[in-house]
Amino acid sequence: MTESKMNGTRRAFFLRGGAVLGAGVAATATATALLPGALPPGADRLQELQRDLTLHQDREAIRQLHLTFTAAVENQAYDTAVELFEFHAALELSGASAAGRTAIRQLFATQYRQQLGPVVHNAYRHSPLQQPDLITISADGAQATATFHCEVELSTPLPPNSTLAQMARLQGQMAERHWQVGRFEARYVKGAGGWKIAALRFT
Amino acid sequence: MVTRNYRSLQMHRIPYTDLSEAQVAQALRPTVSGPSSKSAFSDVLAGKHLKIVTDDGPRLEYNFRNSRELELSENGAKAIKAGYGAMDSGGLTLLSHMIPGSQRGYEVVVDPRTRLVTVFEVSFSGYAAAETAAAAEAKRAPQLKNGHRNREAQRKIWFGYVDDGTAAPVARHLYTNRLEGKGMHWKQDNDIELLEFYVSILYSNFIELTRFGGEMTVCAPTDYIMVNDHQFIYSRIEAEFSGTLTLQLIDLFEMAQKGVRLGLNEKDELEYYMYSGKGEPTGQIASFEVFGNNGESRGPRRLYRPFETFEVMTDDEVKDQVLNHAHAFGDGHGSGAAGMGGYKGELITKFAGKSLTARMDDGGPVIQYKFIDGKQLKWRYEGNSNWRDAWYEMYEPDADLYFFAHLLDAEFPRSCAMVALDIKNGLSTIVKGTTGTPFRNNETHPTYYFGIFQMDGAPTPPQYLRHKMTDEMVGEAYTWNYSPGNPGLTSMHLYATPSTYSWIIFQADGSGGLQWSSPGWYSKLRDGVYIMAWVEEACNGTLGVILLNRKIMHDAGFGYHVGRQGGLSLSVIGARARHAGKFEVMKYLGLV
Repeated sequence: MTESKMNGTRRAFFLRGGAVLGAGVAATATATALLPGALPPGADRLQELQRDLTLHQDREAIRQLHLTFTAAVENQAYDTAVELFEFHAALELSGASAAGRTAIRQLFATQYRQQLGPVVHNAYRHSPLQQPDLITISADGAQATATFHCEVELSTPLPPNSTLAQMARLQGQMAERHWQVGRFEARYVKGAGGWKIAALRFT
Repeated sequence: MVTRNYRSLQMHRIPYTDLSEAQVAQALRPTVSGPSSKSAFSDVLAGKHLKIVTDDGPRLEYNFRNSRELELSENGAKAIKAGYGAMDSGGLTLLSHMIPGSQRGYEVVVDPRTRLVTVFEVSFSGYAAAETAAAAEAKRAPQLKNGHRNREAQRKIWFGYVDDGTAAPVARHLYTNRLEGKGMHWKQDNDIELLEFYVSILYSNFIELTRFGGEMTVCAPTDYIMVNDHQFIYSRIEAEFSGTLTLQLIDLFEMAQKGVRLGLNEKDELEYYMYSGKGEPTGQIASFEVFGNNGESRGPRRLYRPFETFEVMTDDEVKDQVLNHAHAFGDGHGSGAAGMGGYKGELITKFAGKSLTARMDDGGPVIQYKFIDGKQLKWRYEGNSNWRDAWYEMYEPDADLYFFAHLLDAEFPRSCAMVALDIKNGLSTIVKGTTGTPFRNNETHPTYYFGIFQMDGAPTPPQYLRHKMTDEMVGEAYTWNYSPGNPGLTSMHLYATPSTYSWIIFQADGSGGLQWSSPGWYSKLRDGVYIMAWVEEACNGTLGVILLNRKIMHDAGFGYHVGRQGGLSLSVIGARARHAGKFEVMKYLGLV
């Protein structure tokens, strides 16, 4: 995705989502503070705020993790993308699937880097008509699931033997590209190094 | 009715000589005296002095001694003398001359009303050097497999103005898409008759009615330049063929042309003449750019050179591929939706368990079938005891009209059968595709057979009625979108004659781009339902056969191809169509 597209589409979407969440948290805290009879004791109140803050930070970290993943795919920084997965993670991107980080690395090295896959993700964008993303953190704060709605530009390498494809390549068209509406469904785990992708599927 | 002068070899089959630079120089020697012409030259330039300034190009200072002799100083250098010719076209002047002792010259269009000038600097024996440099920059091998192409005219285009000592005009002539979609019939003063179709902004195709009989359309890289709303400069170079340049002024108010033709014909003889002609429009089909896109900018020149990209295989290589590496529909795994099959229809499996016989007339094949399931069938020629297994795919491009294909016997050359079953009346048509032509073993060719089929529950077929060849599609243009996306994998077919067609690849902005042509054949099955077959001769060798339905603007078809990669393949074609329009060319082809 180009810088302008980042600003105008997905990045704006993620930033906008984060801002909404931040505003929601702030509004809740303010409302709670205006109800004197319901106020918890000072220590509990501090813990609650700490939990809210941690929750907010986790959600934002997951958003950033997803943003990093999509940006890495768009920029063909596939090694960067692979490092976002935990060791036993699973990946499924529009028919290309792999289980385990080694296999994910192989998938990106061949199907994406060498354009050997039948279809690869080329870029992402958000439509304001789509549903907002949804992130759910487990009670223990160690796992999370998320749904990110977006549009993906699918790129299908032109077939090798077709005259049409041969001529299209001469005009600079290397692949068929079209946008498709879909969503990422993801599962995350939090380890010592922060959040990692445990499973990611685009449908 | 035009006089037919068919040639034993159509243009794409002529083995044009790969002339040396010295041979080209020798052949061009007579150009020193200027072009010839059946019509009188214009004397509009006689006695005049003309100073032309071009943007980033040459400065040309002409002194015209009379209507046939000029002196030219290029970029202030010593003046040379040359013969020339000039013609007027609606106030524009077309000037043509070569530079003695060289293989280059100029075709100049001057508009005295605006002082704007377009200069074509034309040269020969320049392909190899330019191609080698371009290849080095692009880090690819130069395309020299088919020779150095010294005979192929090269051109540089310069826009500029006449310097009369006053302020230089700001405007310039511009590249344009304003001719895109137009078809013309031209009759020249030398009795040459052509149909020209301007259906791309990079290419055009033309049918030489008088010289080649009008069977085939051929394509050439073309420049389109707009002088004003009714006057245009059209220039094509018959790359991959004779390499000849044709440059003409087209006046759409007068429906007239003034042009020059410069090059070496198939006998390596010089053609250097100017001509005038009268035109008739044959139609205007749609163009697909967004409104406001006038095609005024051009990227790097794009040329399709099939003689370079066509892999020439030996007999043994082809034999090995067709016998040992033959695959139909992924050997039962399906054709997939990639490439030409992005909009294939639903796979028809309802014939599973059924048997039928397709019986072609006049000694054509009689094939018995047992459909095992939705992917496999057994077949045999009637009278033969052995059943053969084959993968097949079947589609229903019109109601109760089925189209399926499978490979025939593993022999060399190898064939496939593409079979249409018309359940409404019991008719059947088989297009048999076979590898090999008299020119190349890894080309293919089709044979049409018309007949009937017999199956339990099917209607009793008629005695006399048959599907048949047709010229109903002549002049029609359809876009075919083979995959989602814009432009996706999309081309336009122009069915220019009953025996040929051309295809145009759309560029990203919707304009027509590269274009090429091949033989093509058309048969009618029902009203609005046709089988069209083509062979990409001297290009890729592929046989494409589509059953196209104008009612739903969709097709179902099959591709048959031999190559080093993929061996012999039988695959599916499925695309969605739009009607781009029609050219009324039947009368020029002697069909009405």
